[in-house]
Amino acid sequence: MYCVKCGVSLREGVNSCPLCGTPVWNPDQIAEEKDYPVVLPREHEESGKPAAIALTVLCVLGALIVFIACLKRYGELRWGGYVLTGIALGYILFVLPRWFRNPPAEVFVPVDHVAIALFLLYTCLKSGGRWFLSFAFPVTGISCLMMTALVSLLKYVRGGKLIILGGFMILLGGFTILIEFFESITFGTRMFQWSLYTVAVCGICGVFLLVSGLIPAMHQHIKKRFFY
Amino acid sequence: MQKKWYRLDTAALIFPAIASRNWSNVFRFSATLRETVDLRTLQQAAEDLRPRFPTFYVTLRKGFFWYYLEEMKPGESCERILRQEYAYPLTFMSRAERKKSCLRIIAWRNRIAVELFHSVTDGSGARIFLCNLVARYLEIRHDLRIPPNGIIRSLADPPQKEETEDSFLKNAAAAGAGRREERSFHLRGRRTPDGFKNLTTGIAETGELLEAAHRFGVSVTVFLAAVMTESLITVQAMNRPFRRRRPVKITVPVNLRRLFPSGTLRNFALALNVGVDPRFGEYTLEELCRSLDHQLKAGATRQNMAGMIAANVIPQKNPVLRVAPVGLKNLVMSLIYRQSGETGGSINISNLGETALPEEMAPHVERLDFIIGPQRSYPNNCSVVSYGGKTCISMIRNIRESDLEQQFFSSLVRLGIRVAVESNR
Repeated sequence: MYCVKCGVSLREGVNSCPLCGTPVWNPDQIAEEKDYPVVLPREHEESGKPAAIALTVLCVLGALIVFIACLKRYGELRWGGYVLTGIALGYILFVLPRWFRNPPAEVFVPVDHVAIALFLLYTCLKSGGRWFLSFAFPVTGISCLMMTALVSLLKYVRGGKLIILGGFMILLGGFTILIEFFESITFGTRMFQWSLYTVAVCGICGVFLLVSGLIPAMHQHIKKRFFY
Repeated sequence: MQKKWYRLDTAALIFPAIASRNWSNVFRFSATLRETVDLRTLQQAAEDLRPRFPTFYVTLRKGFFWYYLEEMKPGESCERILRQEYAYPLTFMSRAERKKSCLRIIAWRNRIAVELFHSVTDGSGARIFLCNLVARYLEIRHDLRIPPNGIIRSLADPPQKEETEDSFLKNAAAAGAGRREERSFHLRGRRTPDGFKNLTTGIAETGELLEAAHRFGVSVTVFLAAVMTESLITVQAMNRPFRRRRPVKITVPVNLRRLFPSGTLRNFALALNVGVDPRFGEYTLEELCRSLDHQLKAGATRQNMAGMIAANVIPQKNPVLRVAPVGLKNLVMSLIYRQSGETGGSINISNLGETALPEEMAPHVERLDFIIGPQRSYPNNCSVVSYGGKTCISMIRNIRESDLEQQFFSSLVRLGIRVAVESNR
């Protein structure tokens, strides 16, 4: 018996060629005697789950110890609250993605920002501050929008990476002005102390990236001059 | 009673260091008999071989500075190294298993197979061990007397000193050869689930292979390497754009026992990378044969090999490295291996050549197979052994795509060599 495609001789009774998968049709088919039995060894699971489980246990243990210690010592949470929310924040940022094989960045970036905002809210309330609504919330909010847009665009838009990055750099410069603005209305500092420098740097980089993304000739020229 | 122990030989040192959680360097040698294998007789044969081949019945232990091989518990039954056959050969040998035994003896229907962790021995050593095991099995089963020859040893003799020695240390040159090599083409593919290994065996008439090789004026190894290079070039051209193509090189293990006076049953082989760069132009099979033949002949000289041995031996003798803890050594060795170990080759072709069994044995043994596992950084490997006028070319892979196998075997068919193909799927 031969494979019509590869020309190799096949063992009697096989259903298809092991090389190319071409089916073999034989009217006098006899059942194939397998060269190897069908006993599979135990699977060796490959994933980040063991680490995630270990880290989860570690976090829960740490949180429990702090919780019990604080209750025993003071009868209330006091500084333990910061530690507990800190652990929760660290868990969401670093351990949660480990439960997934391919953690989707466009989901985790907003989730992380929400977690950070909640942590800051707790800290603000606990310490009796008045900076959350006018400073921390808008800053994390805008950062969330920008970062999510960036990772989604990089992930789903094919090509044009230079334009996306250039646009992002320019927005980042604008964002620093906003940060300083919120800082000034919350803490009463003077405007334009430092943000102009970052705007300048981000702007120059961004415009450069945008231009080299938009003009193919320039793109080529840079490639030619700086290839490695 | 004190358990005997052995230092790892120079080549063996690397294997425990680079073994990972899902990859270990295990290879198999098997014989298919003309009768169903009786397990109890096989166990008896395994027990009888133990005093004669002490370096095979070992476990891999970790010392503070080095790994070492330790004899299995004296008086311990060989039952536990007898194993059932799985759906595919060369299943993963875990660290825990190596700590119990580096040897597996597997019986399935007509087939007796041994699987060994590479620190114990190389292909030639495994062939001698398996043939002796089968000889002893046949002696008990059929009340035969099989006389010793080049492969079969007399079980009445004690183990020879030269059989257990590290021949690398004795034959190193004064200066080491460089390791640098250009990165070569590595096949990629979708991994099979659960570490399943697809084995495709092509069986050809040795005479036809020899005739074809002689037509090109080269040896069978070079001929197969040239056909494999041609197939790899085709597969690379199918899968990669020109700018991402790389040289195609075949790793050919050289049995150093042929170049140096040595009778060791432990590792004594080193690999040479031979091949061409397809980016420079197209090659005919004849040109490939000629090029590979010259490269192999230039590389496999006694002096060149002594230099390559020295490149491994000299760091092993470095006093600073010697006192480093084994964990640190592992780290350094696996880093070096990552840099230079497998980067220079695209596939192994390990050809053990013709195996001559004594006349008394031959009627009982139908065929011999030699199977090496996939490499750590590339998914295909090829191993060859000839016996009784047939050559078994075993190609293993841990990916789904069988492009290379198809190219390779159909090239052989186009060259007028009749190939019968089997697979474990």
